[in-house]
Amino acid sequence: MSAVRRAASVILFLEVLLPACAQAPVRMENLVYSALAFNGRTFSPTFAREASDAIYLIAGVDSFLTVRKTFVYFWPITGEWKTDTDTLDVPLEGTLEVTDGKGRTLPIVSTRYTYYNEKGEYELNWKVAQGAEADRIWARWSERLDAYQAAARDYRDKAARVGQERSSLLARIEVLRGQGKDVAALVDRLSGLRDPEPPRPPQDYVVPPAEIQEAFILNLPRGSYSLRLRNPDGSIMEGSHKTLVVHEKRRSSGIGYEVIPGDKWTRPVQSPTPSSVLYVDGSSDLYLRPYLEDEYNDLFYAKTIRNDDRGNPNLMTWERIQQVPGASIQLSANGAAVEVIREQPWFVEQLQGATLGYKIVPYDPQGGQKDQEPSLIAVRIPLDARSSVVRLSALDSAGRPLAGSERQIRVVSRPPAEAVLPLLALMPVVVLLTVIIFRSSKYKRS
Amino acid sequence: MSDRTRAARIIAKKQVFEALIGPGFYVALAVGLLLGYFLVSAFARSVDSSGFNPRLHPLYDAIGRALEGAFGTAFVDGLFAEGPLPFAFAVSYLPVFLYLAVSSVFKFGLERNAGAVELVVYGPADGTSYLIACYLKDLFLSLLALVVILGFTLAAAGIFNDFAGPALFLTAVVAFFLSLALLAYGMFASMVTANAASSLALFLGIVLFFLIVLFGSFAIVGEYVRSLSTVVGNVVQWISPFYYGNLSLQANAAGDPLGLLAGLALLVCLSGAILAASHFIMQARGVRP
Repeated sequence: MSAVRRAASVILFLEVLLPACAQAPVRMENLVYSALAFNGRTFSPTFAREASDAIYLIAGVDSFLTVRKTFVYFWPITGEWKTDTDTLDVPLEGTLEVTDGKGRTLPIVSTRYTYYNEKGEYELNWKVAQGAEADRIWARWSERLDAYQAAARDYRDKAARVGQERSSLLARIEVLRGQGKDVAALVDRLSGLRDPEPPRPPQDYVVPPAEIQEAFILNLPRGSYSLRLRNPDGSIMEGSHKTLVVHEKRRSSGIGYEVIPGDKWTRPVQSPTPSSVLYVDGSSDLYLRPYLEDEYNDLFYAKTIRNDDRGNPNLMTWERIQQVPGASIQLSANGAAVEVIREQPWFVEQLQGATLGYKIVPYDPQGGQKDQEPSLIAVRIPLDARSSVVRLSALDSAGRPLAGSERQIRVVSRPPAEAVLPLLALMPVVVLLTVIIFRSSKYKRS
Repeated sequence: MSDRTRAARIIAKKQVFEALIGPGFYVALAVGLLLGYFLVSAFARSVDSSGFNPRLHPLYDAIGRALEGAFGTAFVDGLFAEGPLPFAFAVSYLPVFLYLAVSSVFKFGLERNAGAVELVVYGPADGTSYLIACYLKDLFLSLLALVVILGFTLAAAGIFNDFAGPALFLTAVVAFFLSLALLAYGMFASMVTANAASSLALFLGIVLFFLIVLFGSFAIVGEYVRSLSTVVGNVVQWISPFYYGNLSLQANAAGDPLGLLAGLALLVCLSGAILAASHFIMQARGVRP
């Protein structure tokens, strides 16, 4: 009995202890390099802690570095290192010294900056403004934002007033009607009431200018550099030595495809490798969206996005950059005539009933999908089990073929003839038996 | 044709005949083809409406997890970009290559020990012609196996509607050129050791070492292991057939046909250099260990 009690108390002790251990990651004070690194598509925030040897940036584009003291800790749930800037976040001042392979040192001072993505034909039109220009752009954006917010407040007030007046008129009309009085004037006034026009938010930006920040702005050619921070008093900040790897894309303007199966439209897959083959079972149509992609070193790119990530230093990987605007797809199924299909909007409709399925229908902004946004804009590739091979390539908005966009879609078959293959695989054994029989009969004869 | 070449040709013919009436080659080939069949068939079962998904079949689930864990997603994506055939082809060839290399190394060591080679060199042949004959026999049987496996793979492609594209044929070519150099290392191992068992151990050790260096450079591991592997790789890559094979494949992936040809040419040069080294060792030590 006492043994049971002892075991129970051990279990109770562990239950109390273990969650406490699991929920409190050890925080360490570190000097970190915080990077807002341009990755070809957007700016990704990451940081290099003291134990990290190198920082990775892309050549020829602006990226932003700051040096700060903060707490870092490992978060086992996602397997990532994180910073605890709520507890400690001290930016360090000084001059960043970047030394190239030939020993030339470039001192970089901290600069005020903002970045933004303007609307254009392509998704990505990133711009970086520094110093006074940054202040001007931020001030202009703030003014416009303030004006929009003021207009939105004004709109809400006006709309509320109109709503109140409408309710009050309706109430009065009802009362007067009950008393058998003439309400024509009130009805006229009611029908003359107009809702105010809502203000339009500023339309110039996909990503509006970020709030002004200060950082060391780096835009370097490809190469390996060493970094260190010189304090305002001329000394070198201890622990600030790091290697800076500036890498560049090997190839650009490749074409990848986002592939959306008709029966799993929320789970798109990518076809990034040029000339690769997409194997499907033909049970559903495919919706394709061509995009532009660049080829980077797998490890360098992964570490540009997240400094503690892993990657393969000896392999290159294609990374999605942006959608091809106004693309169409040229396809030929089973050797039939070439057909050009333009991308068009589609709408996903939930099916009624217990099956909880859905179907993808052409988007009709005037009909059933009025006031709704299309669920996806893509090129539909009709497929079934008889479509053996579909060859396709993408065309740009002017109808010109895009290099590297050729793909095949193959519907994998599992015919009864599959049983022939293991028999074929055993053919060498049949040959061996034939040799043995032939030789033994020859020996018998001799 | 010189006497040595004629002797090598005649001995090679005899050895090919000897190999073709024995069971080993056929059994290794059948095992390789069955492995290829399992891989191609399992691939067809790993495909759904959204494409290839390794999680749908236990075989590819295990292969995918192992390869992704060791080498990363980019490696697996590249490996199966054209479909299952290049991978299935390489796996099919592996048992045949291992059989040919191991049996040659072991047999050559055994024959040297037993004095069979010494007996041959009393006639019109010499040690080098015997060495070349063994090498030619292995090359012929490798080529034969590659052709059979390629035929089988094309049949599988036809049945499952898989794409037999440039990657498959490139795999076949690189496999042959890799065999040239690895089999030359087999001959070299036979020359520098005193008996069959140590020849075999040395050969397997060499191949394993080069493979570890190659995998180390590809593996997704910590900075320290990768740096170590890179340093070791920089030293030994010049004598590693896998380095030149990988160079050819990388050049092809980058759309550089000259780089591909240069990689293959370097494999030939490496094979020639190893065979020349084996020849000089035999000259110096004689045919009897």
